[in-house]
Amino acid sequence: MLFKKLFQVLVVGGAVMGATSGCSTPAGSRQTTLSKGEGGGEGVASDAGTARTAQGSDGGVAPDAGGGGVMGW
Amino acid sequence: MREELRRKAGEAWAFRTRVEREAARRFARLAAAIAAFDADSPVPALLRQAAEDERRHAVLCADLSAVYGQPVDAGAEDAAIVPRSLGPRAAVLYEVVASCCITETESVATLTTLLAEQVEPRVERVLREIARDEVGHGRIGWAHLARESSISDVSFLSPWIPAMLAGTVDEGLFAAAGADLESRELLRHGVLPHSLKRSIFVDTLEGVVFPGLEKFGISSLPARQWLSNPAARTRLG
Repeated sequence: MLFKKLFQVLVVGGAVMGATSGCSTPAGSRQTTLSKGEGGGEGVASDAGTARTAQGSDGGVAPDAGGGGVMGW
Repeated sequence: MREELRRKAGEAWAFRTRVEREAARRFARLAAAIAAFDADSPVPALLRQAAEDERRHAVLCADLSAVYGQPVDAGAEDAAIVPRSLGPRAAVLYEVVASCCITETESVATLTTLLAEQVEPRVERVLREIARDEVGHGRIGWAHLARESSISDVSFLSPWIPAMLAGTVDEGLFAAAGADLESRELLRHGVLPHSLKRSIFVDTLEGVVFPGLEKFGISSLPARQWLSNPAARTRLG
């Protein structure tokens, strides 16, 4: 029950909130910036997960190829 | 209160202090990044407010940490998590999904669980204040994901979700813990016993995060495999 409610409040509520100020702006380079190829495509996670403790100052981009996550409560 | 329990509670609040400080820096950075490519989005303003909230939360957590005898230093990290192969806009989406759709959503579930328990009044006041804001912070992530998915295919994130999850928790969460970490007495001080923390993490993924990602066209299959496969978790942890 808790999780159904959380889904409604967070996911559905968030989606509604995101739609309140018009559509997202499809920039000229939009198709390339979010394309699958640029995103890495299939198999990208095979070398992922190594950046959890990596430090960098270039906008959150990890210094190696892998991705990481954000520690929480 | 036993000294060992007091130390565990203090360490948990000290850790949360660092988590909140890091979130403040991340949200401020993401607000500027999103404003640069989606001028109509309500998300940047919400992220700026969230950054302020997190700074306030950090003070609250640090105060409790000190009460339990574990003062924290003033440092804060802005850990780099984005795969280098992603372009700028995809990188922002990656970071928003990792920090808000996953981590903040998990935080809301943790806070909700704690607030259903008998908690020390001083701790309860802090939990309630933080919980009020964290709901909004979780929504921010789903709002941004909804906007991006409305104009583009965001399914490329699917194989990256395991890496996000691996960075969200310690692999130790999936192992057995000692009696001190399983003490129900921890709940009174705003800390989940180990096995309850694990079940909340898993149930939130299965009940909220995975269905949420699926709603926007991101397959949760790689993440489900990560969750059910200890070898995969070890590889990414």
